[in-house]
Amino acid sequence: MATRAAFSRLAPALAHARSARSVGLRLARGYATQSEHTMTVREALNAAMEEEMLRDDKVFIIGEEVARYNGAYKVTKGLLDKFGEKRVVDTPITEMGFAGLAIGSAFGGLRPICEFMTFNFAMQAIDQIVNSAGKTHYMSGGVLPCPIVFRGPNGAAAGVAAQHSQDYASWYGQIPGLKVVSPWSAEDCKGLLKSAIRDPNPVVFLENELMYGVTFPMSSEAMSDSFLLPIGKAKVEREGSDVTLVAHSKMVTHSLEAADELAKEGIKAEVINLRSIRPLDIETIKASIKKTNRLVTVEGGFPAFGVGSEICAQIIESEAFDYLDAPVERVTGADVPTPYAANLENLTFPDTPVIIKAARRALYRSN
Amino acid sequence: MFRPTRFPPSLRQLTVARTSRGVASVTPKLPEYPHGNLPSSQSPITSTMHFFNSVMDSGKQIPTYRIIDGAGQPIEGAEVPELDRDFARNMYENMAQLPIIDDVLYNLQRQGRISFYITAYGEEAAVIGSAAALAPDDEVLAQYREAGVLLYRGFGIESLINQCYGTSLDSCTKGKQMPVHYSSKELHFHTISSPLATQIPQAAGVGFALKRDPSRRGKNCAVTYFGDGAASEGDFHAGMLLASTIPSPTLFIARNNGFAISTPSTEQYYGDGIAARGAGYGVHTIRVDGNDVLAVYSAVKEARRRCIEEGRAVLVETMTYRVGHHSTSDDSFAYRPRKEVEERKRLDNPLVRFRLFLELRGWWSKEEDDALKARIKADVHAAYKKAEALPRPPLSEMFTDVYGGEQPWNLRAQEKELKGLVRKYGRSWEPWKAELKKFKGEGKEWFD
Repeated sequence: MATRAAFSRLAPALAHARSARSVGLRLARGYATQSEHTMTVREALNAAMEEEMLRDDKVFIIGEEVARYNGAYKVTKGLLDKFGEKRVVDTPITEMGFAGLAIGSAFGGLRPICEFMTFNFAMQAIDQIVNSAGKTHYMSGGVLPCPIVFRGPNGAAAGVAAQHSQDYASWYGQIPGLKVVSPWSAEDCKGLLKSAIRDPNPVVFLENELMYGVTFPMSSEAMSDSFLLPIGKAKVEREGSDVTLVAHSKMVTHSLEAADELAKEGIKAEVINLRSIRPLDIETIKASIKKTNRLVTVEGGFPAFGVGSEICAQIIESEAFDYLDAPVERVTGADVPTPYAANLENLTFPDTPVIIKAARRALYRSN
Repeated sequence: MFRPTRFPPSLRQLTVARTSRGVASVTPKLPEYPHGNLPSSQSPITSTMHFFNSVMDSGKQIPTYRIIDGAGQPIEGAEVPELDRDFARNMYENMAQLPIIDDVLYNLQRQGRISFYITAYGEEAAVIGSAAALAPDDEVLAQYREAGVLLYRGFGIESLINQCYGTSLDSCTKGKQMPVHYSSKELHFHTISSPLATQIPQAAGVGFALKRDPSRRGKNCAVTYFGDGAASEGDFHAGMLLASTIPSPTLFIARNNGFAISTPSTEQYYGDGIAARGAGYGVHTIRVDGNDVLAVYSAVKEARRRCIEEGRAVLVETMTYRVGHHSTSDDSFAYRPRKEVEERKRLDNPLVRFRLFLELRGWWSKEEDDALKARIKADVHAAYKKAEALPRPPLSEMFTDVYGGEQPWNLRAQEKELKGLVRKYGRSWEPWKAELKKFKGEGKEWFD
C-alpha cells in the first residue's frame, strides 16, 4: 500500500495507482487476443460522458471539482475544455445543494450528471436522491420525470477508514423509483453510463475508486459511440458447471481470479457480473443455479441486509431453491466499520482466497 | 480540507460570486481606501476594532415595507401600485376564497374523510399578493401552504378537492400523493415534497434550466416558497448558496408566519429573521409586510424584475402570522393563547385591510362580499360531495409511474401476482368484492 495521506476530502486516487495497476495487467493479459483496443475504467467513463454530451446538449455535468480540477479522480478530465463552463459546472461543497440543484434542473428539462466526490459524501444529499429524485415521478402521477445520473466512487477504497469505505448498493437498491448500477469493467462502465444518461429515470451509478486505473480490453463494438448496455441485465463473465459465483464491481475481479484457481483443481466456476443492482437480474442467477446447483454471492458491502442477502432471499423464494444442493453462502465485508490500519483493513474485505474457500465449501471440498 | 484551486478560498468565492462565472482572469475593482484593502477582496483595512451584528448600517433591524395600513389607507410616502378595478377585485376574490375552502376541508379532515389538511389562515395576502406578481408560466416550487397560487392560476376548487380525496379525477397526482401535495404541469406548479425545504435547492436548478432554455431565458423565473421553519433546514442555506454562486433567476419567497409548528420564530433564529441571511449570500433582499397584499404584490413584482433582468436570486421575506394550526396534526392552543390569535385576527387581518382599501375606492361592497362568500361555500360543498361519490383511481394505477419508460420485471411480477389474486377472489369473496367497487372500473381491466 502506498502513501497513507491525511485525507478528509482528499482524492486518494494516486495513492492506489500501484495496486490497481497490478490487477489490471493480470486481466488484460487474459483477454489480449480478443481485441486490440484497451481502455481504463476512467477513460471509459470519460468517453461515455463526452459522447453523450456531444449527442445531447441537455446533458451537463455538475459537482465539486469536476471542471477546472478535472474531477477529484480525473474522471471528467478535459470536459471543461471541450464543453465550456455552462456544461461542466463546479459547485460549492454542499452535497444537498448541488444534488438538489441538479434534480431541479432535471425537473426543468435538462439531463444532469451529478458527480459526488464519493458516495460516502452523498449521504448529505440522500434525502434529495431518495425522496425527491426517486419518488417525484410517481407522486406527480407521471408528469414530472427526473432523468438524472448520480455517479461517483462507491465502496471501500484503501487506507481511508470507516467514513470513506462503504458500499451503498443495498441502500439505494431498496428504493422503488431509482435504478442502481454497479459496473465492473471498462466496457460495463461505458455501455451502462451511456444507458444511464439516456434513461428517463434517476440512476445511481456506483463506481469503484480502485478500478479507475484498471485497463480492460474493449471490443470494436464497445469503442463505438452507439454502444449501450441494458440496465437490469447481468453478464456471465465466465461459464462453468460446478458452482455459481455472483459478484458486482471490484468483487468480479476477485471472483474471476478465484475461478482461475478453482479450475486448477478441476472445479468449473460460473462467474456472474451483476452489473445492475436494481432492477436485479435474478433470472440469470436462477438459470445458473439450475446448472451448477450451488451459489456463492460476493460483495464488498456489509453482510446484513446486503445485495447477497437479497439474492439469497429471492432464490429461496423461487423454484431455483429446489435446485440447490448446498447452503448459499454470502461472502461480504466484515460487520465492522472499516479500520484504517492496513493489516486490519485487509482482513475486512473479501479477497480471492476467501472466495475460493467459500466455493470449496459449497462443493463440500473442505470444512 | 483539500481544496484544489489556484485561488485562496476567499478570492475564489469573490470572483465566482461577482462575475458571470468562474472566469479566471477577472480582477476585482480595487477602490482607494486610506489604508488600502486586502489583496484578495475589497474589504478596506481599518485600525478600528469594530464588531457588528446587523446587516443594516444603522445597526437597527431590517425595515418592513408596507403600503396600506389596517384601515386600508396608504401610509405616508407610500406609492400605491397601479391596479385596475378588475385586477384588484380578482386578487381580493382569490384571497377571500381561501379561508372558506380551508374551513370546509379542515372539517372534512376532522370528520375523517381525508387524512390530512393544511390551512393558510392569515397568510392570504402573502400567497395571493405574490401569485399576482408572477407570470402565469413562472415555475413555482411551493412548500404546502400555497394552494392559493394554484387557485390564482385557475386550478379550480374541484381539482383541489379531487387531489385531497385522491379520486379517479385527481389528474395532478393520480391518487398517489397525500392531501395538499398538489402538482400541475400545465400551471407550472411542481409536485409538493413533504421533507421540508428540499424544493429550495431544486428551485435553483429549475432556474438554472430556465437560463439554459433560449425560449424562456429572460422571460421566466423559478419561484420557491418556504416558511420560517423550513429556512432553518440546511437545504435553505444550500439553495441560497447554489443560486448565488451558480447564478440563476430564482426567486425565494419566505413566509415568516411566526411559527415552525409550535416553535415561535423567536426561538427559530436569534438573528434578524430570514432577510438578514440574504446579504450573506450576496442576494438582493427585501422584508415586506406579509399582511399587506399591495406591499407583497409590489415587492414581488420588483423582485421578479430584478431576478429575471440580472439572472440572479432575489429573497423576499413576507412577515405574516399563522392564524390557523400548523396542520391537522396540530392543536396550536397548546402552545399559544387563544386570545393572542383572536387579537391578531381582529387587528391585523390581511383580508379586512384589502377589503377596506377596495371599499374606499368604491370597487367592492358588503353585498358583493356576502355573495362571494356564499358562492364559494356552495362551490366547495358541491365539489366535495361530488368527490365523495367518485370512485378511486383504477387498481392498475398502483404500479404505473414508478419508472418512466419500460416497466422493470419486478413491477410486472408484482402486478401479475396481484392480478392473479384479484382474479381468484375478486368476484367470489365478499370483502374483496365490496372493496373492488371503490376502484374506477371495479378492477374489470384485470378480469378481461
